[in-house]
Amino acid sequence: MRAPKTLDLFAPERLPRRAVRPPVHPVQPRGTPERPARLSQAPLWLAAHLPQMTQASDPVVSRALHSLAVRAQRFTPRVSLAPPDAVLLEVRSSLHLFGGVDGLRRAVAGECAALGQPAILAFAPSASAALAGTRAGQAFTVLEAGQLAGALAALPLAALRWPPQQIERLTRIGVHTVGAALRLPRAGFAQRFGAAQLAALDQLTGRAADPRERFEAPLRFRRRRELPCESDSHALLAATLHSLLEELSRFLSARQCGVLALECRLWHRQAAPSGCVLRFSAPLADAARLAALLEERLHALTLPEPVRACELRAGWPVPQPMQTGGLWQPGERGGLAAAPGVELIERLRARLGPEALETLTLVADRRPEAAWRAGPPAPASDAGPQAAPCAVHRPLWLLPAPRLLRQRGGLPRWRGALRLEGEPERIETGWWDGREVARDYYTARDGHGRRLWLFRERPPPHHWFLHGVYG
Amino acid sequence: MSGAADRPAAAAGGYAELHCLSNFTFLRGASHPQELVARAAALGYHALALTDECSLSGVVRAHVAAKEHGLHLIIGAELRLQCGLHLVVLATDRHGYGRLCRLITLGRRAAHKGEYHLTREDLAATLEHCLLLWLPAEPPQAEQARWLARQFPGAVWIAVELLRGGADRAQLEALRRIGCAAALPLVASGDVHMHVRARRRLQDALTAVRLNVPVAEAGWNLYPNGERYLREPERLAKLYPPELIAETARIAARCTFSLDELRYEYPRELVPAGETPARHLRRLTEEGAQRRWPEGIPPAERAALEHELALIAELGYEPYFLTVHDLVDFARRRGIVCQGRGSAANSRVCYCLGVTAVDPRRGAGLLFERFISRERNEPPDIDIDFEHERREEVIQYVYAKYGRERAALAATVIQYRSRSALRDLGRVFGFEAAACDRLARVMQWWDGSEALAERLRAAGFDPESPPLTQLVPLARELLAFPGFPRHLSQHVGGLVISAGRLDELVPIENAAMPERTVVQWDKDDLDALGLLKVDVLALGMLTALRKAIDLVNALRGTRHALGSLPAEDPAVYQMISRADTVGVFQIESRAQMAMLPRLKPRCYYDLVIEVAIVRPGPIQGDMVHPYLRRRQGREPIEYPSEAVESVLRRTLGVPIFQEQVMQLAMVAAGFTPGQADQLRRAMGAWKRSGGIGHFRPMLLEGMAARGYASEFAERVYRQMMGFGDYGFPESHAASFALLVYDSAWLKCHEPAAFTAALLNSQPMGFYAPAQLVRDARAHGVEVRAVDVEASEWDCTLERSAAAQPALRLGLRLVKGLSRAGAARLTETRAAGPFTTLTDLARRTGLRRTDLEALAAAGALAGLSGNRHLAFWDVAGVERPLPLEAANMPTAADASAPAADAARPLIGAPSEAQSIVADYASLGLTLGRHPLALLREGLHGRGVRRAEEVCARPEGSAVRTAGIVLMRQRPGSAGGVTFITLEDESGQVNVIVWERTARAYREALLGARLLEVHGRLQHAEGVTHLIARRLFDRTGLLGALATHSRDFH
Repeated sequence: MRAPKTLDLFAPERLPRRAVRPPVHPVQPRGTPERPARLSQAPLWLAAHLPQMTQASDPVVSRALHSLAVRAQRFTPRVSLAPPDAVLLEVRSSLHLFGGVDGLRRAVAGECAALGQPAILAFAPSASAALAGTRAGQAFTVLEAGQLAGALAALPLAALRWPPQQIERLTRIGVHTVGAALRLPRAGFAQRFGAAQLAALDQLTGRAADPRERFEAPLRFRRRRELPCESDSHALLAATLHSLLEELSRFLSARQCGVLALECRLWHRQAAPSGCVLRFSAPLADAARLAALLEERLHALTLPEPVRACELRAGWPVPQPMQTGGLWQPGERGGLAAAPGVELIERLRARLGPEALETLTLVADRRPEAAWRAGPPAPASDAGPQAAPCAVHRPLWLLPAPRLLRQRGGLPRWRGALRLEGEPERIETGWWDGREVARDYYTARDGHGRRLWLFRERPPPHHWFLHGVYG
Repeated sequence: MSGAADRPAAAAGGYAELHCLSNFTFLRGASHPQELVARAAALGYHALALTDECSLSGVVRAHVAAKEHGLHLIIGAELRLQCGLHLVVLATDRHGYGRLCRLITLGRRAAHKGEYHLTREDLAATLEHCLLLWLPAEPPQAEQARWLARQFPGAVWIAVELLRGGADRAQLEALRRIGCAAALPLVASGDVHMHVRARRRLQDALTAVRLNVPVAEAGWNLYPNGERYLREPERLAKLYPPELIAETARIAARCTFSLDELRYEYPRELVPAGETPARHLRRLTEEGAQRRWPEGIPPAERAALEHELALIAELGYEPYFLTVHDLVDFARRRGIVCQGRGSAANSRVCYCLGVTAVDPRRGAGLLFERFISRERNEPPDIDIDFEHERREEVIQYVYAKYGRERAALAATVIQYRSRSALRDLGRVFGFEAAACDRLARVMQWWDGSEALAERLRAAGFDPESPPLTQLVPLARELLAFPGFPRHLSQHVGGLVISAGRLDELVPIENAAMPERTVVQWDKDDLDALGLLKVDVLALGMLTALRKAIDLVNALRGTRHALGSLPAEDPAVYQMISRADTVGVFQIESRAQMAMLPRLKPRCYYDLVIEVAIVRPGPIQGDMVHPYLRRRQGREPIEYPSEAVESVLRRTLGVPIFQEQVMQLAMVAAGFTPGQADQLRRAMGAWKRSGGIGHFRPMLLEGMAARGYASEFAERVYRQMMGFGDYGFPESHAASFALLVYDSAWLKCHEPAAFTAALLNSQPMGFYAPAQLVRDARAHGVEVRAVDVEASEWDCTLERSAAAQPALRLGLRLVKGLSRAGAARLTETRAAGPFTTLTDLARRTGLRRTDLEALAAAGALAGLSGNRHLAFWDVAGVERPLPLEAANMPTAADASAPAADAARPLIGAPSEAQSIVADYASLGLTLGRHPLALLREGLHGRGVRRAEEVCARPEGSAVRTAGIVLMRQRPGSAGGVTFITLEDESGQVNVIVWERTARAYREALLGARLLEVHGRLQHAEGVTHLIARRLFDRTGLLGALATHSRDFH
């Protein structure tokens, strides 16, 4: 009889009964159990490991995992994500429905293949054991807790995905495999590596419960509402839509999410549905703001026929940054509307279309043509670059490209003779990106008294160009 | 005068540039001071002021160039005060210059290295006899002008810098109004950053480097155009009103100061009251002579001494000798071992003062003129080596004795090297850090000869792509001679000391190291102006020798000292002749070891030759082989005359030393000692200043006139040319040979003590601890492992049954163990031995990182067993809370047994794992060589052991593999790389010709375990493997640690 302290962790006869008891099954399995009740109640986990997935933050990865989880729900209601690279299925009750272990393995492999993801599948009575096995590349099938020890012993420690320092410390005492780690004295192990790590080992062997969060497919909001009667009344339409939007808003705020896109469809008797799609630059959930933006677009919409029903289809919910509400409403006792710039931009984009809006920003560059840039609208900030520290006023209107001027007697002409004013400003820079300039800039007046901005190239043949016009 | 503006040429001569930065305003100026001076002279400038920002680092170079070009150079500096006031200060005379130096010192000493901090109060309190140019901000702040006008009446101008910004006229008008209001005159200046406008790109690139951003993001920090160059006077005359140009010449006329006026004075306080320096030096010399020659001074030495003292007195150098004597005296009193090196050993006075140790009677021909010459008009240069671990004490002694305003270290100008230039420029063009490193690596060992494009392509860059087509020319500009300065650093040990305030001679600034201050001039600058410099150098071997002798004296009860070990011991020379010299000073390098069996040194003077002959100079001058042939009696020794014989007899007719070349020029060609010294210097400066060509006629004619055959004369001349940069002074070799003998004696007779001392003086020398320990064991020394129960911080000697004591490795070898932790360990152990690891941990209270370091080193073997168990035990040590530690030792006790009780079931580490762990922690193993474990696999591939390889006949094709101990590519070897490989049986010397090196570059540079296929070459007892193919087998070493556990 060995002392309990150095107990071999997976001798099955010593497993306490409570550890084998599965969590309460939420869905009653259909059909009659084929095996004695005690065994059929013990969970059996199938881990599907996608070796190509490595980075949890990669959206491609999360999408693939998500799709697999959705498909896996067809085999069992108990599906869990194990990011970044695996999905877990509790399949004890599903075995007989899908042709036993082999049938289930084929079916799940088929789903992975359909997603274009090669997968490694393993069965084990503990979720972490199945996971560790697949992550070590072992497609084992362990149906009984008693067989777990042998299957796990040879796995490298790295398969556990423990923090690198823990792995490093274990390696230094000569522990390279899961089996060696399990042979360490329990108390000594807990003292050196922490209770959490011991618990992880216990979960691995099924000695401790391993609760897994159940996967729930996120929902998209989609509601259709019939109007009481066919109508082209804007007021009725707006009221209906508004109540739909309030539902949307509740749906979103319950999930602390917003949407980036919202489609509104209007159904008619004969004509194809009409409607519009709104896109936002930041997640939105507020019913009033959504209504205001939607109304902007509806005003511009021509209805082919009266409307019978309307429908809102929202994009995927996106987590929304928590916001602090003001004590006062906008306009009330000096209360401020949150980020007025954002609202204005949303309104303009809603009215004019997303492409119609651009922002000009300054760029710290001495070359006039490189000193500004157009970009997507963003709330104004104070941190942008300052205007050029040049002594001369530059014209607000620059030509898209400098226009070559004819010259007579070394002086430039444009629709007649030009009169140069003031002194030249010399700009020589930009050699690093292949658009070097070496110019002397002048202001000049034409015959109509307009002020022009010209330059003369420094390298021969000293061409003259028109570059801008003063307002 | 009124028509001057219309006829620009008339104004040309009248312009003096008063605001000009050189590249000593680091990362702003884009031209060398010499370039600026030369260009200003060529343009016919009236004068040029060099006004680097808070620095005079470039002025000596400019001064030398200005004398050459006949240009009036003004010394000044640009300053930006904390309040934003920006101005140029120009020194009018010696007093003003001293004040400017003090102001710069004040600003620099108040800030971190590379920065300065000055206020208006500093300016007002310090500046006298200086002229000031106000550099107005945009927009100008009239208050600054009023303050300057009030503080420095009659000495302030408003600098008008018209740089074609587009509003030059408005700017001029605005400044005129301020000038009228504050009664300040206006003057033209150019804010010059480069000598020609073609440097504009480089200037932009430097700006980006300074800001640490890509040039495309440098934005407004780049100048809008390239007008900040030395503009042609005709252009200036079109831009500036004539009176502003005329004003420059008026200011220049008031600045009459020249660096030639600096009079350096030696410190005087070392002479006792009532004595003259000459009498005091004579007295110290006589006292020393009594010690050196207790049986009486030989007449020849007496005459030489008198000659030296007379010349020293004539040149007034006594204070210098007294200063050096004071340093050496201080070191001796503190028990710090020191010894002069270099040409000072030519001086009997230095010998008597104890500065140098070369006995003039031991065969070396000492030539005083090599040390001091009347013609040279340059202060003597004494370099002294101190124990490297205690040199700082000497430096701090100097600071304490003379004060920081009288003593400072010389500077070293750090210049762009190919790697740093490419790394910086890579960043300028926005390359990622990794790409910058890759780019910099492209340049490793690139001397500009082969196609850069090829290399770039090989490293994954497209040499035709736009950033590189722009980058490469900039790199060339940075790397062109004479080296583009990057920043100022401290000289390795050159101390400058003066009689008066040093900070009125040259500005002093803070070094990066705490407690160090540095003058703004480097060694060449100090030489050019005749300032005294003592080189206080650090030599690791002195530390090791002192420690070894201490160990021997403690062990044997002897009273040995450096220089007094038993002389001319045949056993020592036999050992040296076998090239059994790992660890011995100087002759442990591979090239030296290859020479030893051929030269077979038999006496002290042979060591002097050995030290000097394995140098690029004698090798390139083709002196090695003739000397060896004559030594082996295979070539007759002939002298064209008795005079020549007297010079060359001791080196068998082959000139090996600089002194011999000088003497040869004197006796055979009739040179005066001073001319001979000039010849030597010309040989040294061969690459820079066209060499010795202009001495050729004088030499050949002189020799012809004395009846020497022209063929002999030509050969002597050729040998002098070959000497080039690398000729070695005999005096220097003679000093070093003393240390060679002492270290060889210790290695021969006391290998345990010698190895312990070397290990305790690391890092130093040629070999790593692994090789030193391996060599000691090969010589029968028992080496014992690091052990918490026995080791001290240092390696120690322990009782042993053998003749030699055992060497106990010290805790200092344990990587990651703190010095304080080791000290606590040894102190605690003194109170009683440790019983368990828990006991050790509890009593010492060591940090976990220290305990882990000890476990990793295998030093806990006695308490815990193997490394695995040691780590298990260390991980189980509970850290008691501070309160518990003090009050409740029982708490730790109570928890201890629980942790210790259950020993885990873990296998012991394999042999390979232990060896890898030994190397990782200690850098050496007492187990088998790693190659022994890999031998089976290697043998199967036909890879032979070093022992077997060396036994194969000449010309056989062999394969071998080993750990890369050394990888050298001497500049003199014409692209050849030398590699030393080590396996369990010994070492193999590999030669890689340039073509092979290029083909196997990756393996050559990257491998730690290298496999070489090649052909064997034996010559005079030396074996080389000429590499044909190289393979990087480093992966096998890594596999040792990981795979081995899979094969039981």
